[in-house]
Amino acid sequence: MKFIKLYLLGLLLLANTLSANVESEYELETIAEGLHSPWGVAFPSEDEILVTELSGSLRLISSGGLISEPIQGVPEVLFAGQGGLSDIVLHPEFDSNKLIYLSFSETDPSNKNLNTLRVIRAIFEDNSLKNIETVFLATPLRKTAAHYGARMLFMNDGTLLITTGDGFNYREQAQYLNNHYGKMIRINDDGSIPEDNPFLTTEGALPEIWSYGHRNMQGIAQNTEGTIIFENEHGPMGGDELNIINPKLNYGWPAISYGKDYSGALITPFTQKEGMEQPNKYWVPSIAPSGMTFYDKDLFPQWKGSLFVSALKPGDVRRLILDGEEVISEEILFDDIGRIRNIITAPDGSLILATDGKNGKLIRVKPVK
Amino acid sequence: MYKNILMFLATVFIVTFLLVSHTTVTNLMWLSSLDMPVTISTILTSISHDMISMNSSGAVPAAALVAIGLLISFAVARIALIWIKINRRYAYAIAGGCALLAIVILMPLAFYNLDLIAGARSATGKIYLIASGALGGYYFGFNLSKKEN
Repeated sequence: MKFIKLYLLGLLLLANTLSANVESEYELETIAEGLHSPWGVAFPSEDEILVTELSGSLRLISSGGLISEPIQGVPEVLFAGQGGLSDIVLHPEFDSNKLIYLSFSETDPSNKNLNTLRVIRAIFEDNSLKNIETVFLATPLRKTAAHYGARMLFMNDGTLLITTGDGFNYREQAQYLNNHYGKMIRINDDGSIPEDNPFLTTEGALPEIWSYGHRNMQGIAQNTEGTIIFENEHGPMGGDELNIINPKLNYGWPAISYGKDYSGALITPFTQKEGMEQPNKYWVPSIAPSGMTFYDKDLFPQWKGSLFVSALKPGDVRRLILDGEEVISEEILFDDIGRIRNIITAPDGSLILATDGKNGKLIRVKPVK
Repeated sequence: MYKNILMFLATVFIVTFLLVSHTTVTNLMWLSSLDMPVTISTILTSISHDMISMNSSGAVPAAALVAIGLLISFAVARIALIWIKINRRYAYAIAGGCALLAIVILMPLAFYNLDLIAGARSATGKIYLIASGALGGYYFGFNLSKKEN
């Protein structure tokens, strides 16, 4: 009995030591602060960061942490509820063509009661945007200022994935293919429709739809080879999901869900149905997942191959350890810096965290020197 | 006074039940249209679940929302009845309808047009809920008149 107690004590001490070692392997450095709800982050060069503020500004942050004045030429956005200037991604050939893509919510010019999600591309040159073109406009327009999705990702084949939310009031529409509510959209870099999109020949379906039955997708990432697309989405009260996205599949919302409505009502009594995908992982209670990045750099070898999900509630990062597509365990990191809106891998292998709120920060996670 | 309170609580219960069951049933009707296996048992257990959950684990308890709305509108009706000669049943029916009108129309305005009561998302849903409030008000006014006669 004594021997067992000693053995368990030894194990506990070993676990504590290992945990302390992992924590001491990184440190947090604030790169920039005073940002108004930073949302999307991109790296136009090794030492510069482009960041969107939900309130409508796009700013360039230099290596010394200097925050630029708002970049000129950004269209006016609808900053209300969950809407505003959302994500930014660079074209895969940005170094030569200087193209950036921005997603944002905007008011309909002909009816101020309606709004929608728009994605534009523009040439980023001399701290301004030029040759602005719309590559995607979500339809139909909506009355609500919530659940826009608005995350973007260039797949390895050069096509662009865009997430669209269900608009909150229109959740049932996520199950129908004639609209953009609750869909994963796939387009070419110029906004045209790829010839191998799954619903191209389906009668009544919008050809840009890649998958459907989603709620409010806030994170999207791919593995190094581009063979697995990960997506996270907010459930209602409970039922936040991590999914592996494949074309043509129905991810079930709101016919199946592990969450309840904010009123306490059942959205559905069902959690599974044939023909509807199960999440790879779900969280009850909600963590409000936001950004997501697949870590494939060498700066933190112990994290290589992990999926990082930032979370708004209560505010931390979930490191998901994967075995192929399967999540085998979860580690909570950075749980003392508040609500985290986004996480992205920098070109040098460090992780960048964007904290939520009117005094948002960009924080770099780097190894201890 | 004691009887009036009981009548008011009964009214709150009736209106809350109509509101909750409408949300549950319209939701299940849509699920059924997707060939989800909705049975009588599913309907009964879902209504029971929602009656408890919408009053205990939601953002705002449905009964409290209804009670506050009815309390304000009934108080206004009581004052209005001093000057306006109208059958009490109809006065409280109008007041009940107005209370639910405020809940389904004004509440979304405070939340970027989000309808937090799922059953109130459609125009027909809003009309039904306003009618439920009116029915509750009619019940209250009817019993009040009966008691005082």
